[in-house]
Amino acid sequence: MRLRVPLLIAAAVVVAVALVAAGCGGGGDKKGAAGDGKQAASQVLKMAWGAEPPSLDPGLATDTTSSNVLLNIMDPLVRLGDDLQPVPALAESWDIDGKAVTFHLRDDGRWTNGDPVTAHDFEYSWKRTLDPKLAADYAYQLYGIVGAEAYNNAKPAQAAALRDTVGVKALDDRTLQVTLTSAQPWFVQQMAHHSFLAVHKATVEKYGTKWTEARNIVTNGAFKLAGWKHDASITLVKNADWRNADEVALDRVEGRIIVDGTTRVQAFEAGEVDTLDGAGLPPADMPRLKQLPEYEKYPALGTYYYGFNLKNITDLNQRRAMAFAIDRQAIIDNVAQADQIPATGMVPQGMPGFDVIKQDFLPTRADLEKAREFMDKAENPKRKITLFHNDAPGHKEIAVAVQAMWKELGIDVTIKAQEWAQYLEFLGPPPSDAVYVYRLGWIGDYVDPMNFLELWTSKSGNNNTRFASPAYDRLIAQARNTADDEARYELYRQAEAMLTGPQGELPISPIYWYTYTNLERESVKDTFKINLLDQFDLSKVVIKEA
Amino acid sequence: MAAYIVRRVVWTVPVVLLVIFMTFMLMKQIEGNPFRKTERAVPAAVQKNLERKFNLDKPWYVQYTQYVKGVATGDLGPSLVLRDRTVNDIVKEQFPRSIELGLYAFGWAVLLGVPAGVIAALKPNSRFDYGAMLFSNVGFALPNFLVATLLIYFVSVKWGVLPTSGWTTWQHKILPSFTLGLVPMAYFARLVRGTMLETLQADYVRTAKAKGLRWRRVVGVHVLRNSLIPVVTAAAPLLGYIITGSFIVENIFAVPGIGRYYVTAVSARDYSVVMGLTVLLSIIVIAANLLVDILYGILDPRTREART
Repeated sequence: MRLRVPLLIAAAVVVAVALVAAGCGGGGDKKGAAGDGKQAASQVLKMAWGAEPPSLDPGLATDTTSSNVLLNIMDPLVRLGDDLQPVPALAESWDIDGKAVTFHLRDDGRWTNGDPVTAHDFEYSWKRTLDPKLAADYAYQLYGIVGAEAYNNAKPAQAAALRDTVGVKALDDRTLQVTLTSAQPWFVQQMAHHSFLAVHKATVEKYGTKWTEARNIVTNGAFKLAGWKHDASITLVKNADWRNADEVALDRVEGRIIVDGTTRVQAFEAGEVDTLDGAGLPPADMPRLKQLPEYEKYPALGTYYYGFNLKNITDLNQRRAMAFAIDRQAIIDNVAQADQIPATGMVPQGMPGFDVIKQDFLPTRADLEKAREFMDKAENPKRKITLFHNDAPGHKEIAVAVQAMWKELGIDVTIKAQEWAQYLEFLGPPPSDAVYVYRLGWIGDYVDPMNFLELWTSKSGNNNTRFASPAYDRLIAQARNTADDEARYELYRQAEAMLTGPQGELPISPIYWYTYTNLERESVKDTFKINLLDQFDLSKVVIKEA
Repeated sequence: MAAYIVRRVVWTVPVVLLVIFMTFMLMKQIEGNPFRKTERAVPAAVQKNLERKFNLDKPWYVQYTQYVKGVATGDLGPSLVLRDRTVNDIVKEQFPRSIELGLYAFGWAVLLGVPAGVIAALKPNSRFDYGAMLFSNVGFALPNFLVATLLIYFVSVKWGVLPTSGWTTWQHKILPSFTLGLVPMAYFARLVRGTMLETLQADYVRTAKAKGLRWRRVVGVHVLRNSLIPVVTAAAPLLGYIITGSFIVENIFAVPGIGRYYVTAVSARDYSVVMGLTVLLSIIVIAANLLVDILYGILDPRTREART
């Protein structure tokens, strides 16, 4: 009898321990599953777009917002992989033979009205973009194709005759043959740009300029444009008939158009949207936003630089002094504050070939000693200069910082701000004589250093420095025809050296390489990615359970 | 009265023509290439094609006459920047929202500002009076973009009571219209208080009181009607404030009206949008002024005689 009580207690304890162990074990398992990224039941992404797309016609779109919407509702021939090499999308393979590139299309591309996507669609679309009547802003993206520039340049009377001289031809439904003006080894990568998307001929001809309205549009990509309330919202729904639809997790993307940067951040913080589109965070808020777990930054293919007007700042040693006096890292840390990378050359980090091309001459921190040495060597230094910038946020602060840095060299800088469109007219080329130094940036169109280095050829419409070097022009022309990557990167290295190397002419002083900053909620942070060309692929986004 | 109205309507035509001419000339004076949106230079062929498409390669008088002809037939032209839309599209779709915003702002001003002024006048130098005038001063002093951002921060982000931006449900419409209505509210409060105080001193008010009329009737029928005349006069210039204030409020609250796009169109050099919206807004201002004058005539019989 006496033994039964301790036995009962022991039994009770064992049972209690067993229950607790079971409870703990079960709870632990459940937590683990959710933490491992189980998909949320509701795959509806709420995001904020930074602008109203001026046009969703691939032939007319030029800005990032239009480009991102288009690349998600349409199927390009290729996409860019993580290493920025082309990955087959609608084109399953391609052959390159000198100046001839042949794309072989998949047979399961479908328009949303059921029609198959064929090579004829691409031929029609590219010729349409080059048609002078359409007056496409980005027609020049296609100028690498034989006959393209001539057709685009033709007077209306002669245009029709030149249409078929353009070197793009659909050999059959699945084969697209393109003839280029020169080897252009980056051509296939360029196909990832929205200007090379196909449009549905019958829809375009039926609805004219209204074919891109949500009620009319016919697309062929991972998502469909379910709604577009101008200036208000863009709604995408999953295209269940897309060739890879079973790999797409999102069902809907509800996008609100919020142009004001501060309001966009406030909408995010109020929980109304779960991600922004990388359109940029207000510079004044950066110190606070960088502390948030939702903050994300991505490298960008873009260079922010100060250009010299070589007619006014004639002395190379003065330019060197000014370039060495700029403390790039300090500007990034204290003024720009978006974790940019200090730029020591025109071609940005992340560009294939960067390791070969980069120069070691310009410093990331100010080197006042060397700067003063250069300044002393300068024969006719200009001590009173004007620095021009456009009046968008952030540029004035950088100008003021640089003004102080150049004061150390005994240079008095007057800063002048101008409104954007007037500023561009003022810079020419050739730039107005009042300009000594100006500020600009260049964001890459496609993933090859050519896009950054060809700006400095003597005839380039984007060269506002008056830098003109026949040797440089020859290098660039040669690179255009060099198919082998290694050989071409070597030519690029020489070109970069002519700009920012120890013997370079320094027509520009690069300041930093851009980054894209964004706010993304934990549930999408892992899968929402912005690549170096500011593109994001919604078909890869998965909303995790909280 | 009818002759007066007809005359005013007929005068609208030359005024609008003048507005078109001045805007046209001003836009031509401002340098800037509407087709160059980023730092990228526009290749010569592309520039040529664009100018040909939008008739910018024709001499200015040809462009002007074509435009005026278009306005006469109600066609305000295509947008140079929003390539798939015409100015008519933009106006049809987005202008009603701006009107709605303006009307609600005006509504706030009348609903809160006028009663505040009336009560302040009836209880001069009381706590309510000082409070109302303080509120009025603050309303004038604070710029609307500051009020907007503060309201969004406290009401939407911190307390989560109303949405931050957009224009879909009635909850969305409260903050933007309140922000825009703040200055009119402040203005009305002051104005009504001032005119009422003056009117309350008038002889006929004392007579009415002496005659034994109920105070509520004296105020509500006699005093108020006379005090509102300056308010009606003030309404027309206030319209100007509401139109220009809407540019900022629409931008911050992401209201898809025309105000926001009007400002960006100037920077973007979207000539047809700028001209089209200027024409539209000038017609509205003219119409509003006419309405005010008619109302004035109804409210104040003295002016009716002077006009004919």
